[in-house]
Amino acid sequence: MGITMKNLSRAYGSLHAVFDVNLNIPANTIYGIIGKSGAGKSTLVRLISLLERPDKGEIYYNDKRVDNLAKEDLIAQRRKIGMIFQNFNLFSSRNAARNIAYPLEIADVPKEEIKKRVVELLELVGLQGRGKAPISTLSGGQKQRVAIARALAYNPDILFCDEATSALDPQTTRSILNLLKDLQKKMNLSIVMITHQMEVVRDACEYVAVLEDGSVVEEGKVVDVFASPSSPTTKEFLANLSPLASAEIPKKDSIIRWSEEGGRYILRFRGEKTGEPVLSRIQKKFDVEFNIRAGGVQYVANEEVGTLVCDIIGESDEVDKAVSALQLSGIIVEEENV
Amino acid sequence: MGTLFTLVWSATAQTLIMVFSSTLFSLVLGLPLGILLCITGPEEVGGIIPKPLLNNILGRIVNVLRSFPFIILMILLFPLSRIIVGTSIGTAATIVPLSIAAAPFVARIIESAVKEVDPGVIQAARAMGSTTNQIIWKVLIPEAMPALASGVTLTIINLIGYSAMAGAIGGGGLGDLAIRYGYQRFRVDVMFVSVIIILLLVEIVQVVGNKISSRMMARR
Repeated sequence: MGITMKNLSRAYGSLHAVFDVNLNIPANTIYGIIGKSGAGKSTLVRLISLLERPDKGEIYYNDKRVDNLAKEDLIAQRRKIGMIFQNFNLFSSRNAARNIAYPLEIADVPKEEIKKRVVELLELVGLQGRGKAPISTLSGGQKQRVAIARALAYNPDILFCDEATSALDPQTTRSILNLLKDLQKKMNLSIVMITHQMEVVRDACEYVAVLEDGSVVEEGKVVDVFASPSSPTTKEFLANLSPLASAEIPKKDSIIRWSEEGGRYILRFRGEKTGEPVLSRIQKKFDVEFNIRAGGVQYVANEEVGTLVCDIIGESDEVDKAVSALQLSGIIVEEENV
Repeated sequence: MGTLFTLVWSATAQTLIMVFSSTLFSLVLGLPLGILLCITGPEEVGGIIPKPLLNNILGRIVNVLRSFPFIILMILLFPLSRIIVGTSIGTAATIVPLSIAAAPFVARIIESAVKEVDPGVIQAARAMGSTTNQIIWKVLIPEAMPALASGVTLTIINLIGYSAMAGAIGGGGLGDLAIRYGYQRFRVDVMFVSVIIILLLVEIVQVVGNKISSRMMARR
């Protein structure tokens, strides 16, 4: 199920938590919404998960308008939405199995069917046989698995993850992200991930929107955004990307810096370009020298994105020529304003 | 000695009946009121249907009732006892003012217990499409259960104290016994035994209540 937001705004007093957001979340993908704290992510997710109504604007699930539903319809619609949270928000009065049973109970699913479904769901999230466990006896990762099973119990079309991995250690984060990716494919789900961790976007999402001060400052396929970030916020997120390794290719993640000085140009390569000797070709053609300060190749949504931080030394018009030649060969060149 | 035993025994039975019944009735009155106070309150603490005006009015009424001295409230409620149980003296008649006096106290206890429920959990329940009733019965009350149990313990102990006071104005029970025999007829032994039994009752309720609460917590 796709989600469309049109001119969405929500203010608290004079504070515009979300301001004029227009986004299109395609069906059957994992869509990341990233922003620093206070950027309006939580408000945005509360709006599109129908927990709160917008002041202005419209929300559509596929073609159905959902931001103005009457009470009964709203409750029916919420049952078709799954949601998981940073603090898991499980019922401490219920064990794992009865937590998972909750969405089915409130929808009056027959008891026998609930039992069967709970067993299936426990297995789906890798917790078979742990149904009787009290919540307090589970680890963070297990709690989030129970929460995922609970969110998916009523076969929702869409799953919202509100900072779902922020309380977990890197290893558990990875296993939860892998589970989510797996479930997305198995169940034809649309997943929306709200996060402040660029690692999560890199490792799990296909699309990303960057939020700042309640507005979208950048949006697109993760590969494109990683290869040519346009907003300063995105660049900052990318610069702070910690070397949390994605499981398959642990060594290709961090950018290695061997000099703290210089680095006026940032070159970004995509896909097969990361394998080409572009720099030496250009160096032969023009009267310039490259002084490489930092670099690395990252693996983003099954595509490689290379980054090089370097200085280009030479006569200024030769440098200009070299830069345009780089751009011509498909490399994105950013110049820091020194 | 035979008469002392009979006296104390029947007075203890009266006290138990008064305390048990008024606990039950004050819960019947106070539980809905306490939950209403919580769910109509601010959204950050369990207010699933915020209604500031209603919340304010209810809160005021509860506060007025709570600040009434119990003895005065009891005298004021005599006519009500006469309507409900046909008389204004004796054990049965005392249950009416006891229940009503304890209800606002119970309401506040329930309110604060339910307010302790993690707002995130309530948010999750709402996001899953729970109705208001489902949130109350399947989330708020079960999640608050250990706190509710200690609230009920506190209520019973309070009512043991109140029922002893009620004895002074013809309510029967251990308080009545202590005053009529111990104070008015100088039977120190009767007074002593009555007080000891009241102390024991309080102690037993406290210990059992604590056990129940902590067993509930341990199972989570």
